[in-house]
Amino acid sequence: MNTNVENEFSNQQILQPQIPSLSAIEFEPLSPLYARTHRLVVLVRAFIILLLLMVVIYQPFVELPSQLNIALSIIAAILTTLNLVNYVYVYFADPKKQYALREQDINYQSGLIFRKTVSQPILRIQHVELKRGPIDRKVGLANLQVFSAGGAMHTFAIPGLDYEHAEYLRQYLLNHRDLNQHG
Amino acid sequence: MDNNADEVVTSEAQGSADTEGKGKENPQNWQRISPIALIYFVLMFIKNMFGNVIYIAPAILIGSNKVNENPGLWLPILYGFLALIALSALLSFYFFQYRLSNQQIEIRSGVFSKKYINLPFSRIQNVELTEPFYYRPFGYACMQLDTAGSIKQEAKVVAIKKQFAEQLKHQILAAHEQTLATPQQDQSAQQEPAPAPKEVILDRRNLDDLVIHGITNNRMWIFVAGLAPFIDQISSELGRWLLIIGFNVEQYFEFEGKSGWQIATTSLSLVLMIMIPITILSIIGSIIAFHDFKLSKSGDRYIRRSGLFTRNEVTMRLSRLQMIVRQQDWLDVLLGRINLRFEQSNANFSQTQPGQLTNKIVVPSVTRTECQHLIDDAYPQNQLATCQFKRVSRRLLFRNLALCLTPLIVLAAVIMIKQQGNELLPYIVGFALFISLLVVMRYRRWGYCIDDNFIYVRKGCLGIDYYCFPIYKVQQTSYKQSWFLKRKHLCSIQFVLASGAIDIPYLPEKIGLDLVNESLFQVESSKRNWM
Repeated sequence: MNTNVENEFSNQQILQPQIPSLSAIEFEPLSPLYARTHRLVVLVRAFIILLLLMVVIYQPFVELPSQLNIALSIIAAILTTLNLVNYVYVYFADPKKQYALREQDINYQSGLIFRKTVSQPILRIQHVELKRGPIDRKVGLANLQVFSAGGAMHTFAIPGLDYEHAEYLRQYLLNHRDLNQHG
Repeated sequence: MDNNADEVVTSEAQGSADTEGKGKENPQNWQRISPIALIYFVLMFIKNMFGNVIYIAPAILIGSNKVNENPGLWLPILYGFLALIALSALLSFYFFQYRLSNQQIEIRSGVFSKKYINLPFSRIQNVELTEPFYYRPFGYACMQLDTAGSIKQEAKVVAIKKQFAEQLKHQILAAHEQTLATPQQDQSAQQEPAPAPKEVILDRRNLDDLVIHGITNNRMWIFVAGLAPFIDQISSELGRWLLIIGFNVEQYFEFEGKSGWQIATTSLSLVLMIMIPITILSIIGSIIAFHDFKLSKSGDRYIRRSGLFTRNEVTMRLSRLQMIVRQQDWLDVLLGRINLRFEQSNANFSQTQPGQLTNKIVVPSVTRTECQHLIDDAYPQNQLATCQFKRVSRRLLFRNLALCLTPLIVLAAVIMIKQQGNELLPYIVGFALFISLLVVMRYRRWGYCIDDNFIYVRKGCLGIDYYCFPIYKVQQTSYKQSWFLKRKHLCSIQFVLASGAIDIPYLPEKIGLDLVNESLFQVESSKRNWM
């Protein structure tokens, strides 16, 4: 009897359950297509706006007051600078956008100078949307949007996912046990 | 009466609607609301029209010019307008029907765009009874039913007998409890769905409290919101009235040839002239909103009743509570009073006007002990009163000082270089000192504290606000770190709750990361529902 107990006896230290840390997450990159298309979109948009302004300024049909012309030129200059800055920012910031799916939450990290990691526990999700604009559809990308009770201001969104993968993520979130129990 | 209502709700639905049985009202059939609702519809129509006054303003302007040319048209237009209001109210009334059956409420409404709402009782999260002053003599109330979640779906039964509304409210909330309750404690609930627990009054507000509240908090908006369409007229009329009582505004501001003390007294009296009416209006507003304030508790439900003209009743289950806010403006700090807010999900209330108090339970101007009593009642484990708040990093202070003072320094430099108007400099220095004081105060107010169940955040500037929320109610977290903060091992974090977001800036990297990890862990491992 006594020996029996002694054999089974063990007194290992019980460690507190390790809380998984945000800093240990291995993030995955977005689709490589995303940075490329986004850059192009920024560039084309800037070009179109500039073109429109130029057309207004230099069109031969109506004589504009010179003050208006000057104002328009200044606006054009400012817009061009802003767009250039934006382009440079996007060029460096887009490759830094990344996401990670864990068992219990989904995380998204972005920002070049101001890094931000948003974590959305899956059991607090209220509904999930895939959003695809015309360009997204053309190149086969999708935006994943996750809504919680935190309100529209705090919609969790991951841009630039491959459509199939976004669809898979959406299904994963929707099929998650917690979502179905506590939704 | 009680039995009757039970029968109504629990028995089976009877298929499609019969035509309205006027003699014996059976809520299982489609039925209209009381004709008293006509007043409501008329007021809503007028309110909507003023709400859209910007869009129809050009039409009115052009129209009035035309009409001024031949004034005989005024009367017919007035009649036509009144007829339009009456017609729209009648139609709205005619098409508003509701039906109660099989534990659900259905509402049909709308004249041109039809609306149909079907709301099972178990989905209803919140029942709000409002008694507008024009309903009160007749004993009617508006019943607003809210569902939780991001889907916008709420229903309003525009006029319903108050007694019946109360019964219905009990039924709805009881139905909700049944779906949630665990089997072991459910025996009594199955037999009698609504054995309403006794109501305990937690707090009342007297007139003096409300006067204090009016002084310390600007409750002017109650008037401002109502008067918004007329604000232009009022200001022009005001000038005329002042002239009539022998007060010439232009003369008053004639500073030429007056000495310094004259200007000082003038401005002082001017400030008083503005402040006194505002304060008086604010006190009246506070009394209108909070007259006969009662906060009571019945089971796990908080019930707030208040209002001078329009009695408003808000019911909130304790589980809906997302966050407690203990708020003090600088005057509150001096007087030792606290505004306590119980905040719940604001997902459904994006449409309501900022002035309305609907989704929050505000307890105005309570004393320190009362406040602590109420907080402890809601969250017995909380340590808001005793916990030690940690300061955020001093770098926040330096950053904010730099951000606020740089433009002023640039301005001063420009003035110095231009060598003109050196007498402006003292003002700029004074202003800079004032701003610095505010920034320092704001920095000193920042604080955070955490225990096993709650996160506490302190912030403010001249006033002081405490936020306290259970960790498991967090909806989303974000962890922010700029390049500069990373070098100093600092970070900022944000917790998103259903009632709004709470930020903690510039805290040590390790603590911030732990806070985020810990709260995610609590949310995900406890799997507790946030509502």
